[in-house]
Amino acid sequence: MMFKYELRKVFSRTSNMIAMLLLFFVVVIVCWFAMDVSYVDKSGKTKVGPSAVSALRKEQKKWSGYLDEEKIRQVIMENRKIVSSPEYQSDNIRESQIAYNKGQGIMDIRNLLNHSFADGFCDYNYYQADKLTEELAPQFYKNRIRLLREWLDNEASEEYSDIEKEYLIRKYENIQTPFYYDYITGWSQLFDYAPTVVMITMLVLGYLVAGIFSNEFSWKTDTIFFTSLYGRNKATVAKIKAGFCVVTGIYLLTMLVYTGVTLLYLGAEGWSCPIQIVFSDWKSFYNIEVWQEYLLIVIGGYIGCLFISFLSMWVSAKTKSAVIAIIIPFVILFIPSFLGNINTPVINKILGLLPEQLLQIGNVLDYFNLYSFGNKVFGAVPILLVLYSLLAFVLVPIIYLEYQKK
Amino acid sequence: MELIITNLTKKFQNMIAVNQVSYTMTTGVYGLLGVNGAGKTTLMRMLCTLLNPTSGTITLDGKDIFALDGNYRKILGYLPQDFGFYPDFSVYDYLMYISSIKGVCPIVAKQRIEQLLKKVGLSKVGKKKMKKLSGGMKRRAGIAQAMLNDPKILILDEPTAGLDPNERIRFRNLISELAEERLILLSTHIVSDIEYIANEIILMKDGEICVSGTSEELIATMPVQVWSATIAKDKVNSFLQAYKVSNIKTGQEGTELRILSKQQPAENAMLEAATLEDLFLYYFGERAGEEDDV
Repeated sequence: MMFKYELRKVFSRTSNMIAMLLLFFVVVIVCWFAMDVSYVDKSGKTKVGPSAVSALRKEQKKWSGYLDEEKIRQVIMENRKIVSSPEYQSDNIRESQIAYNKGQGIMDIRNLLNHSFADGFCDYNYYQADKLTEELAPQFYKNRIRLLREWLDNEASEEYSDIEKEYLIRKYENIQTPFYYDYITGWSQLFDYAPTVVMITMLVLGYLVAGIFSNEFSWKTDTIFFTSLYGRNKATVAKIKAGFCVVTGIYLLTMLVYTGVTLLYLGAEGWSCPIQIVFSDWKSFYNIEVWQEYLLIVIGGYIGCLFISFLSMWVSAKTKSAVIAIIIPFVILFIPSFLGNINTPVINKILGLLPEQLLQIGNVLDYFNLYSFGNKVFGAVPILLVLYSLLAFVLVPIIYLEYQKK
Repeated sequence: MELIITNLTKKFQNMIAVNQVSYTMTTGVYGLLGVNGAGKTTLMRMLCTLLNPTSGTITLDGKDIFALDGNYRKILGYLPQDFGFYPDFSVYDYLMYISSIKGVCPIVAKQRIEQLLKKVGLSKVGKKKMKKLSGGMKRRAGIAQAMLNDPKILILDEPTAGLDPNERIRFRNLISELAEERLILLSTHIVSDIEYIANEIILMKDGEICVSGTSEELIATMPVQVWSATIAKDKVNSFLQAYKVSNIKTGQEGTELRILSKQQPAENAMLEAATLEDLFLYYFGERAGEEDDV
């Protein structure tokens, strides 16, 4: 009963309804961006919409399978064929578009070639693949490790300890090759816009829960609340429960809508591929599959939202002010921007563990943030998940004790 | 049931809001009378466990009310001076929510809310949002919430603020009905609110109880008498400076003054029966309403 009315307090406020409506519109807009996939047909005309998705999928599906030496060789050959075609050489835009049409099927793999055959670990040259010959195909996976070693020995030699370097090389060596490739546009688009959705959701959630405790004071209902039988115990628990359910419900609903719309439109194939075939994840040392990255993004975002919302609720209970509580998520979100200019290993390590990292786990998977405890080395992702789960859990009794003593 | 206040003191930094107050209350209606800033609200907030005393104790049947915790709040009903509400709740939902935090089971709560809405005259607006109610209606909803758990101790801080004369009469009758087997403490600075219904009146001044007793007992403690006299308009100011004047009525033959004085203030002054308002003036004089409430 108390819980039901606590939820009603949150959802009956006009400003909260506006905030949720805003979230809905943002999700709609982000979905629209995520679904924005184009396809250039044989005549060089750019198509958008479901037919473009279908055509692109058909082209890329032709290349699905293990990226073994033979497949890499075929891709290099195909690329060379396109590059040497008169359409590719032409300065005419329509001709270039026709050439582009021919390369759409191998576009993702071509990008991986650019990564693998780059001049340096941190380099990326869009035309690198055009310089390749079939004989280089066996180097495709070896290059990944070679470039990492070179980077660790040179530019990053001071940044990591020996065990951390060993850890990274081991991770690279341990990855199962050849990679399985499939059409993954649905997932890559989903991953690209996920941080935006999670961050906006977090800001809205922070706003929704900020008043759960402090509104009793601004509405001057605190005196009746605290003189009631359950005001200092069960009713306070009901508030925490309401906050938890608001965060869980709205977050999951938002992610469900975002994922559902994007994947239904673009397709969910490629879920079992290694994340390294996604353009931005080639260098990632996390040897996981696409569906696991998605789970990490959802779970990380949830833990981040839960922690930041609980923090807002605690501030709300402590200061009796919803305004200060609403500011908290913004501060957490923008602290890294202020500290980002100070590029020292210590600051980088701290930045890597700030709660806003949880809101963009997809990006964190590509960072080389390592933390050593004795001889054990961990990436930032498991630490973030465990640390903030614990902190969110610890905040619950802290909020309770803070509020019930008012 | 015996609520005993012993040497109760509350300090806010350098200001003493309640100073060494001792008092015993059993069942019945107690009227706490005092000007704004006398310490009534602070005393009531301590009685409601909202404020911890700086020193002193409050016990209910020998047990400290703060140690009794939920067991004390279970039998407590409170209407604060600054009555707040959930603006987007309907009156019915508001009362259902308060019932839930007061530990009243939903079936009982529904029946009780219906009865209380009738009693306070809000039956027709049960589905109306709290923010849409008039000031008087909100106050009546506040009175209803205080009684939801059928409290044995009912503390009402300025319950009639914002009520029109009819509503105040209705409220007085309601309190009289409820007074049986209950301890009701109501604070006010409006004398007529408690004149007829309070069994005992407590006068608070500067954080202390200066006098208490029945209406008659209190009036009897007044060391002055009440006179009425009609005087020329040009002499009114000199009377106002020399005496405490509880009423001024201007007529064609002069100005009729109600004067508090030990001796006859004027030759034509007639002795009148003293009332609580005279008592109020005697103790609080011209200071009434000059300070913010504490």
